[in-house]
Amino acid sequence: MTTSPAVVANPTVEAREVSKWFGQKVAVSDVTCSFGPGLTGLLGPNGAGKTTLLRMICGLLSTSDGSVSIHGTDPRRDHRVYRTVALVPEEDAVYGFLSARRFVTYAADLSGVSRAGVDEAIALVELISAADRPIAEFSKGMRQRAKVAAALVTDPDVLVLDEPLNGTDPVQRAHLIEIFKRLARSGKTVIVSSHVLAEVERMADRVIAIVDGRLAAAGDIHAIRQAMADIPYRLRIDIEQPRRVAARLIDSDNVSSVTVTGQTLRVETSDLPALGTELPRLAKDLGVRLTVFEPEDESLESVFRYLVRRRK
Amino acid sequence: MRAFLAIVRVTLRQVLGGKRWILLGLLSFVPAVVMWFSSANATADEAFVLYHEAPLGLLLLIVLPVVALVIGAGAIGDERRDATLSFLLLRPIRRATIVGAKFVAAWLATTLIVAAAGGLASAVVSLRTDSWQTLGPTVVALALSSAAYTAVFLVLGHLTSRAVLVGLVYVFIWESGFTYAAPGLANVSLSRIGLTAYAALVPDSTRLLADPLGSLTPGVGGALTKALVIAAACVLFGGFLLKRGDAAAE
Repeated sequence: MTTSPAVVANPTVEAREVSKWFGQKVAVSDVTCSFGPGLTGLLGPNGAGKTTLLRMICGLLSTSDGSVSIHGTDPRRDHRVYRTVALVPEEDAVYGFLSARRFVTYAADLSGVSRAGVDEAIALVELISAADRPIAEFSKGMRQRAKVAAALVTDPDVLVLDEPLNGTDPVQRAHLIEIFKRLARSGKTVIVSSHVLAEVERMADRVIAIVDGRLAAAGDIHAIRQAMADIPYRLRIDIEQPRRVAARLIDSDNVSSVTVTGQTLRVETSDLPALGTELPRLAKDLGVRLTVFEPEDESLESVFRYLVRRRK
Repeated sequence: MRAFLAIVRVTLRQVLGGKRWILLGLLSFVPAVVMWFSSANATADEAFVLYHEAPLGLLLLIVLPVVALVIGAGAIGDERRDATLSFLLLRPIRRATIVGAKFVAAWLATTLIVAAAGGLASAVVSLRTDSWQTLGPTVVALALSSAAYTAVFLVLGHLTSRAVLVGLVYVFIWESGFTYAAPGLANVSLSRIGLTAYAALVPDSTRLLADPLGSLTPGVGGALTKALVIAAACVLFGGFLLKRGDAAAE
């Protein structure tokens, strides 16, 4: 029997054939995945459906189809499950008029946990010096850390973080990643969404990738990295006499396709460095001026679209 | 109880924060100012009559509904707008408890403002009549109608982002229009809840309030029951909406 890499043996969080549509728009389509203790990265470009999936998992959104559970319980049916769950949402879901200390205390009061952990949670995200300032005065990164502190104070078994590193500087980012890793090592289920592959690589060994609301890839981050190795790069090249250049490029072993639009060439290559060497030489041979040579779609989105096409 | 009180505390700061407090505070002076100028040369009896002709109506038909609308609709509506609703919903608390705490905070804030407005207007009457008989009943009337208005607008604020607009239409078309044009509808008027309590507490006012009271029987018990039933129904309905609905849009 084969098991999908998107599911784990002893899950704490499960999404089974989950779909969500808003009117005509399908945000998440038939996604089955699960999460267990440890850190799992939920990876995908902006608008891929990560936030919608996380909100369904947490019970903030109903599913249009399929089901979700945390510790075997549908969070929309039993609010007691929130004793063990905390979400750090992507948006600025903070009370600007409260200080960080009062905000974290509010979280403790609402979850019915001791206030004794408030200072510890604030210290953990390194906000002690600003703890009594109104959150409205905080930078984006500080707000993110305040939200993380409000989640940590409840000591959750399941910690869901939606783009938690947005707006943080490199030092804060490294610090937060270390916190998430530490929680994962202590047996918590930590789910971190991000649209930045490098971020997820630093945090998670296991990744679930979502594109266009569908499961694009799942499993070990290194295997997914490997799968990306043969992705063709698309380049935009602005050059004089583009048709002459295109005719020469199409014969090159480094180029898999060329299209010409006005003065612009769009070239697909699987060997970017080789083409980077070849093209200036070719321009010199033909006596034409090269003005633009840039990757057109180096974004994560294109990478994952490629993965989706490959799956099909 | 700890979570309930925490929500009440934060909601009070939320709904009374910023410029809202100043605007609503200024509005609350209007009945007292109207009473002051309209009764400047009035005798005690005339001042008593004048209070029931204008300031009391202003309090129950304009000041209270507008204050209750802004505060009630904002109690949950602001959380939705600011994306903080998920902060409340992802807690081991019953949805009705969240709405109940929101209601208590909104009712306290509304009552605080309108009671101050009613107190000021009554103080002017007292200066003219040498009697404080309208003060207590005015505050009681406002507190009772405030409970009904706040509860209804709380749910409205959860249902639509245009709650203030819808609420103003309700206040000026329904409360100030239809329920006066068709006396039979007085039974379903939120401002009349307070008015029936007021009329029972100030028997001399019954003849002056004959028109707005219509066929309603003055009584504090009935008014209290009505206000509590409306508040409880709205809290339960709001809890149901929170549980069933999506806390975040696309």
